Amino acid sequence: MLSRTCCRGARLSLRSYSTEVQNASQPTRSKKAMKPVISTAIVLNRSPILTRTPTPFETAYYSYQARIRRALHNPFPYDFYFKQGSLLEKRFNIEERNREKRAFGPGFLQKEDITEEQRQADIAAVEQLAIQEGEGETLAPRKHESDSTGDVKSLDRAGQRNLYLLLKTEGQGGKSTWRFPQGGVEKGQLLHQAAQKDLFAECGDNMDSWIVGRTPIGVYQPPTATPSPAEAPEHYVFFFKGHIMAGQVSPEGPGVQDFAWLTKEEIESRVEPHYWNAIKDILSDF
Amino acid sequence: MSTAAQAIAKAPSFTRHSITRFQRAPWIVRKLRRSPTSGLPVPHVRVVTREFAPCRLSDHYHNTLKDDLMYMTYKHLPSDKPPPEPRKIRLTFDPNDPYSKFRYNPPVGGSQVGKKPAPPSTPENIVYLERIQLHSMVKESVQNKSNLLGAMMQMKALTGESFQGGGHHAVEGVQIVRGKKAVGGWLRPGIPVGVKVDLRGQSMYDFLGTLVEFVLPRLRDFNGVVLPPSSSSTKTPSAVSGVVSFGLPPHAMMFFPQIEVNVDAYPKLYGMHIHFITNATGVGAQDKARALVSGFQIPFIRR
Repeated sequence: MLSRTCCRGARLSLRSYSTEVQNASQPTRSKKAMKPVISTAIVLNRSPILTRTPTPFETAYYSYQARIRRALHNPFPYDFYFKQGSLLEKRFNIEERNREKRAFGPGFLQKEDITEEQRQADIAAVEQLAIQEGEGETLAPRKHESDSTGDVKSLDRAGQRNLYLLLKTEGQGGKSTWRFPQGGVEKGQLLHQAAQKDLFAECGDNMDSWIVGRTPIGVYQPPTATPSPAEAPEHYVFFFKGHIMAGQVSPEGPGVQDFAWLTKEEIESRVEPHYWNAIKDILSDF
Repeated sequence: MSTAAQAIAKAPSFTRHSITRFQRAPWIVRKLRRSPTSGLPVPHVRVVTREFAPCRLSDHYHNTLKDDLMYMTYKHLPSDKPPPEPRKIRLTFDPNDPYSKFRYNPPVGGSQVGKKPAPPSTPENIVYLERIQLHSMVKESVQNKSNLLGAMMQMKALTGESFQGGGHHAVEGVQIVRGKKAVGGWLRPGIPVGVKVDLRGQSMYDFLGTLVEFVLPRLRDFNGVVLPPSSSSTKTPSAVSGVVSFGLPPHAMMFFPQIEVNVDAYPKLYGMHIHFITNATGVGAQDKARALVSGFQIPFIRR
């Protein structure tokens, strides 16, 4: 759904751009106003680093399907994988009985044909093995501490979501606005090269980043401040998608005051409505 | 008490039951039919297993790769109309002739498969992975069919696929590849020469994850799938069919965790070919397929 809207958005915007250029070359305008100003902006993305938490329905569905698989699976060839009476076989048997119990309940399990002493000895031996192999390390929590402190600069926040880099910059009339990293295009420069250069210019080179493809993914025409729009040259901002692989942003550009890694909803509350209309279909809902 | 308050009061009775655990066996009302062969009860419904866990690589494709691939492979068309078809200079039989109307009617000189342009970029035909095919040839099986057993067991351990596994009629499990043509003094049609497995869906992504995380990083002499030189033809059937293939030697098999646990149980290990089969077609299809596969961290190098 997202990609459909993106694709359509990209196609429409490119088409409108080509028609705009034709309009601009009409002889009614002055030579100076004909040439539109082009700049590039980078939608720098941190992809999700955690799997999505399943909904209760999904959890129930998955466990139901896992039970069906467990009930229907082919018999496991114990003698092919384990030596008879080995410690690994004992461990597998204990774990397998636990899984079986979790899936179908304790009443489903068949009675083991070993004595209680033997069973306790097996469990102790398997626990010893687990200690030797260094198992039982605690995993990192799915909720990072930056989620609870509300630190929007951390790249570890909101691990299940797509994050996008937004810069706080000095706008017109001393008012600060939030926008994507942006910069101009020099003569003879290709758009995607300009995008990479502008990203470094505003965000420093302390990060590994990659610009996806050579085609822009969207276009934005900022509203002109002057009262007569015919006088001012047209301005187009082309968006490029980028990924951050490592490192962190260090704001360097002249007007850059702050930065934040934000999800789609958080971006909506910070940017101008006009800007939001241009970028909302580019950003991922998840 | 209002209805909302009643609903809240009822909620704990719903949550008292775990949604992940088996509660009580369903009450069997109708008498179950018995299988004539095994004598076991047959359920009234066809039992089919579906996804039983969230799939990390599938999520990665839908969250990240799909968008990126769309941006990378997008070909802009200036208008919504499809580009004009090239002038037809090669003869075909009259398509309105009742004899040839519903028959395969290729032009003189073949179907020009390598010259077909890729379909226009739409959100529906973004490149995706359809299946992974594993294939290994066992030359010794020509002399003795039982030589296939080791390769079959290895494939079975690698993929866990079985014939119509999980109640899916399209799952074929480990298949035997048979000779198609007679090759002088060696092969006859119908002789078993190898085994293959088709992986789709969750098991495909599981295999891909294992390959990328356990096997490829531990292979010393593997730097990546070798790309053809830039001078090679872009119109060959392999370049326009959207398939990426490479092979793994026999000694790479012991890095798969499924086999690593009991390598000693196998008398011999067999190498295999891995084919990543995508939906890309037309000119440039293999490049799209490579872009997709490299998104799953399969490395590529140039020679």
